[in-house]
This record gives sequence, structure tokens and C-alpha cells, in this order.
Amino acid sequence: MIDVVLDRAYFVVAFLLLGIGAHMLIGDRNLVKKVIGMNVFQTGIFLFLIASAYVAGASAPLLTEPGPYVSPLPHVLILTAIVVGVSLTAVALGLIVRIYGEYGTLRADLVGEVDGGE
Amino acid sequence: MTPVEAVVLAFVVGAALATALLRDVLASIIAFAAYSLGVAVVWLLLRAPDVGLTEAAVGAGVTTVLFLLTIAKTVRPASEDLFVDVDPTALGVSALLVAALGTTLSALPPVGSSSAPVATSRVTAYYLENAYHEAGVKNAVTAVLAAYRGFDTLGEAVVVFAGFVGLLVVLDRGVLA
Repeated sequence: MIDVVLDRAYFVVAFLLLGIGAHMLIGDRNLVKKVIGMNVFQTGIFLFLIASAYVAGASAPLLTEPGPYVSPLPHVLILTAIVVGVSLTAVALGLIVRIYGEYGTLRADLVGEVDGGE
Repeated sequence: MTPVEAVVLAFVVGAALATALLRDVLASIIAFAAYSLGVAVVWLLLRAPDVGLTEAAVGAGVTTVLFLLTIAKTVRPASEDLFVDVDPTALGVSALLVAALGTTLSALPPVGSSSAPVATSRVTAYYLENAYHEAGVKNAVTAVLAAYRGFDTLGEAVVVFAGFVGLLVVLDRGVLA
């Protein structure tokens, strides 16, 4: 049982990061912290994929190094995902700046109240 | 699992917990920057230097600047408390998520196993064997990113462009000035 967990420690950490990110997304009332939570959630997924590409004792997929190599394909996926994630964060934060301009608060529950009062 | 890996993974989880629990948004952003740096080191340990470089430049760099700009343009709520009040519903939902994911753990291959499906995949073998003489690049990640999957990378550029245009539409000139 302990060995099963230790051999897969990277996956366990990825699951924990998904949990922490989900908790920030659902539970935190501050909109900026919700976006930080989304970023933590993303890195959890990244960790799962990069860990699944890893081979113990292998080199990075630079063909100047001696083989064997880890798989390059998940690395490419995650590189793309990181850049797309930054675009997502930038648009989300832009919307938050506008929400603050309209409602004067960053608390999700208060934004709902202001909306309901109209 | 070497001691170095254990320490870095513990640091990453600790920094993520600090990010989630600190009430002050600025403190949370600083914890998140430390977390991104820890994750960049994890990518190096997993032999993904390209991802590590991108994470350090983009995750710890650009993203942190974006968050700081946001709280500079909006508000940093003041509070006496150091930590947030944990919402029991959200804690329950996220614990359920972790538990559901945890049930799949024993079905996953051990990390680093050379018989894992990704390592033995024909796609992996093809890229590693042919990347240099087909694409002329010694970095297999670059060869896949810019040659084999070049159109996907073009799509990525379109997403970044659309994101930038969307940001300009959302923010009027008053905020950017």
C-alpha cells in the first residue's frame, strides 16, 4: 500500500493540487483568488501529464544527450497549455478589473447582491 | 523517490496550501509565485527543461505581474485575520474530488516505469528516432512543436492573439493608460 503511493508520489501531489485548486475556485469569495485557484488547478493537470512522460534514468529529449529519453509529446502539450493558460488568466483578470469598476467590489457574493438589488 | 524530489514536492504542496489559505491577496500572490518556482524545479527533476523554462518565465514571471497589476488597479481587501475561513461545502467537494481521483491511483503505472504506456508508445519512439533527420532539430520538443505539430502551434498563436484582442475590448483605454 505504502509502496503503491510512494511509487506514484507525483500523481498523489497532482491530485492534491487539483483538490487545492478546486477548493480555491469554489470556496474563496475573492475573484482574484479564484483565478489563482484556476492556475493551481491547471498546474495539477500539467504535473499529471509530465509525470506520466517520465522514465527513471532517462535524459531530457535533447538528442545531443545519450539515450534513452523521456517522451517529448506531453512536454509539447504542456508548453502549449501554459501559454494558453496565461491568455486565459489575462482575459479573466481584465474582466475582474471591469467588474470592480462597475460593482466596486471583488467579492463574488456581494457582486450577486448588487445585481439582485437592481 | 530521492530526498531532493521529496523536499521539492513537499515545498510545492506547502506553497499551494499557503496560496489557498492566506487571506491577504498580495500574500497569496507571493505564495503563488514561490509555488510556480517550485513547480519549475519539478519540471527539471522530471527531465522537462523546456517546460521548466516556460514555467519560470511565464508562470512565476508574467502571471505574477498580471496578478499584481490587477490588485494595483482594483483593491486589496484589508483584514485582521491571517487565514481565510474554510468553507465546509467547498472543502467537502474538493475532498470528494481528491478521493475520487485517489481511487484511480493503483491503476496508474508507477512514475518513471520504462514499461508505462507513454514511454512504450509508437508515437514517442517515432518522434525520438526521426526528429533529427526529418526536422533537423536536436531538441525533440522543438521538432514536435514547430515541425510535426506546427499547425497546432499556429492555433496556439491564434488563441494568444484572440486573448490579447479580448483583453483590449474588455479594458477601455482609461484602464490601460
